[in-house]
Amino acid sequence: MTALEVRDLCKTFHRHRAVDGVSFTLTAGRTVALVGASGSGKSTVARMIARLVRPTSGEITLTGPDGSPVPDRAYRDHVQMIFQDPFASLNPFHTVEHHLARPLLLHGRSRAEVPHLLERVSLSPDFARRRPHELSGGQRQRVAIARALAPGAKVIVADEPVSMLDVSIRLGVLKLLDRLQREEDLAVLYITHDLATARHFSDEVLVMHQGRVVERGPSDDVLLRPQDPYTRRLAAAAPNPDTRFHLGGSS
Amino acid sequence: MTRSAKLTTGLVLAGLIVLFGLIGPLLTGDPATIRDIGLIPPGGDHLLGTTITGQDVLAQLTHATRGSLWIGLLVGVMATVLSGVFGIVGAYAGGVVDEVFSLFSNVMLVIPGLPLVIVVAGFVPADQRGTWTISLVLAITGWAAAARVLRAQTLSLRNRDYVAAARVSGEKTWRVICVEILPNLLPILASQFVFAVVLAILSEAGLSFLGLGAADSSTLGTMLYYAQNGFALQREAWWWFVPPGLIIALFGGALALINFSIDEIINPALRDKARRRGDVVATTPVVESGDAVLTVHDLNVVYQGASPVHAVKDVSLTLRRGEILGLAGESGCGKTTLAYAINRLHRPPAEVTSGSVVFDGIDVLALDPEELRRFRWVRLSMVFQGAMNSLNPVTPIRAQLQDVLRTHRPSMSSSDREDRCAEVLRLVGVDPARLGSYPHELSGGMRQRVMIAMALLLEPQVMIMDEPTTALDVLVQREILNEIKRLRDELRFAVVFITHDLPLLLELSDRIAVMRDGEVVEYATAEEIYLRPQHPYTRRLLASFPSLTGERGALL
Repeated sequence: MTALEVRDLCKTFHRHRAVDGVSFTLTAGRTVALVGASGSGKSTVARMIARLVRPTSGEITLTGPDGSPVPDRAYRDHVQMIFQDPFASLNPFHTVEHHLARPLLLHGRSRAEVPHLLERVSLSPDFARRRPHELSGGQRQRVAIARALAPGAKVIVADEPVSMLDVSIRLGVLKLLDRLQREEDLAVLYITHDLATARHFSDEVLVMHQGRVVERGPSDDVLLRPQDPYTRRLAAAAPNPDTRFHLGGSS
Repeated sequence: MTRSAKLTTGLVLAGLIVLFGLIGPLLTGDPATIRDIGLIPPGGDHLLGTTITGQDVLAQLTHATRGSLWIGLLVGVMATVLSGVFGIVGAYAGGVVDEVFSLFSNVMLVIPGLPLVIVVAGFVPADQRGTWTISLVLAITGWAAAARVLRAQTLSLRNRDYVAAARVSGEKTWRVICVEILPNLLPILASQFVFAVVLAILSEAGLSFLGLGAADSSTLGTMLYYAQNGFALQREAWWWFVPPGLIIALFGGALALINFSIDEIINPALRDKARRRGDVVATTPVVESGDAVLTVHDLNVVYQGASPVHAVKDVSLTLRRGEILGLAGESGCGKTTLAYAINRLHRPPAEVTSGSVVFDGIDVLALDPEELRRFRWVRLSMVFQGAMNSLNPVTPIRAQLQDVLRTHRPSMSSSDREDRCAEVLRLVGVDPARLGSYPHELSGGMRQRVMIAMALLLEPQVMIMDEPTTALDVLVQREILNEIKRLRDELRFAVVFITHDLPLLLELSDRIAVMRDGEVVEYATAEEIYLRPQHPYTRRLLASFPSLTGERGALL
């Protein structure tokens, strides 16, 4: 079974410890949420896993479906990333076809799979001919998800995949990710500042603060009954109309 | 001149000159033929007259044009390739490579070009000084500025997510540069190429004129050189030196026009301004209502253009004294346009086509510019989205706050000004000692507080806040929301709070207007909207925010 283990990951930028001793494991069929405020180091963790940033210390080991470690050059066949801003993550110069065909070809697949990829993210095949500026934010992010799936990756790092989208389409994109995770047995790292979706869409939650994981556990435990003072503050800060109109809620 | 007129003029002129250089030599015979009819003026057999040795000027001109264009093309290509290699590759590779490459470009940049060309060209013996040698010398001295421009642009492009995405998908470095980055640099490369061509033709003409040009070719510069040596000016043989000079000037001008248009196509700020009409085209009679501080009645705002966009449709809102009115909606729903129109801050092509905005008895849409200046900020202030980044980075907070007072309350003494600035900072929970700080010394949350303090300076009755907390994280957002509530209770001003975050509005506001496609689809108290939403869109918006504490899995 594919699994990605992160052990004692650290990253120092100009003597500033952005990530400090983070460890966790991603396994097939499970979603782990990494939550925290901006500057907490969560995006740096994502970029290290996607090999865009080299860790200062610590290890990232990937085990393939057959249980043996995956060699470095095959790493990107298995680990892919979805970026935060679908307006920035697609090249304005190229068609959707290019964005999907390139990763397919690079990982020994055929260009003919493009329509199938589009279908998996609920887009019709004629989107292949379009360019990014002809797509809405939600459609762009679906293309970005299809691109991450193209190499046949089983580990997906989703860095704030919906925070740049209009609110009414956010849940749709998250549900798509959730469906793909279950159907294709993906291991997903969901990075977000939004505690509510972290709770609803993940099995395990890690709370990051100033580069460290301050609290971790099953999502309901961490977010409904937080122990760490920082997690408590975070949970209390999110707008919650329930408390104003004295309805339900556990508080 | 409009963009297309400039471009057309440039293309036609350059095209004619290129044709002249390409086809002309085939029609005009041998330029070197010496006749015994020196210096005859234009006319008859010799349309442009002859030189002192009886050579046909027209024939010389066509060959010289071809020679100059050829050198321009060679240098243009070589300089663009050099600047591309040093600028793009260096910037993309980063680290030591970038350091070395940019050090080299910088050194090349400070070496004065023409003197170096003269020295280098003079160093090469005249019999080896061919077209290629001269072109190489010109290219080597002419690429550095373009490399700097390309480096800056590449530095910004290489950090784009689509470049990172290409790397994550496993693309090789050369492919990332050639396929993902290069196409986005094309406009700049094109404009740098055109510039290099002009510069090469001019420099070559200068070199040849000084007798340092290529020995094996005739160019416009060599023509001028021989004209000078033949004392064309003293002999008043204008037909010998005016035509080559004119061609250099026209070609340079044509390429400059083309380059200008490339600039305009890239830079949206240079594009044609929309036709200017008034910002308010028509209004409907004012409707007053008792307790209201701000009444918007049937307001319509249209972005005029080839296909006009009706951004705000028949919007009516009432803001009571001390009330917080939430304006909820997604991107493109018209909420920001509405806020701008209330303040008359909308710019062409946006126009108010009908409706009224009444502020405490003042018909805002009827104010003249001077009245408007006195009205804005004094009675109604605004905190913009990402406002914290709109502080001037090079002046301390104090100067920026005092500027507002100096403009609107010129009679205020400087000690009173200082006191007032300290007072508003205290109001928003920032230590007045920070008055001397520069914006970069404050956190994002603090800068946003300073912006709110600035909006409070003149004790406005209404504050419009457009996504004031969207760029901040939840903890800072919570502090600022608490601050707004407290200030509203203390100072009794009214707030229009614009955001896409409906739960935030439900918690903060008294009443909420939900906007979609320019229309207010629902307008009710926060409690009504939360407990009994009427419009399907309101319900959809509400359902888009899962509750942290709600039943898990209910969404799936």
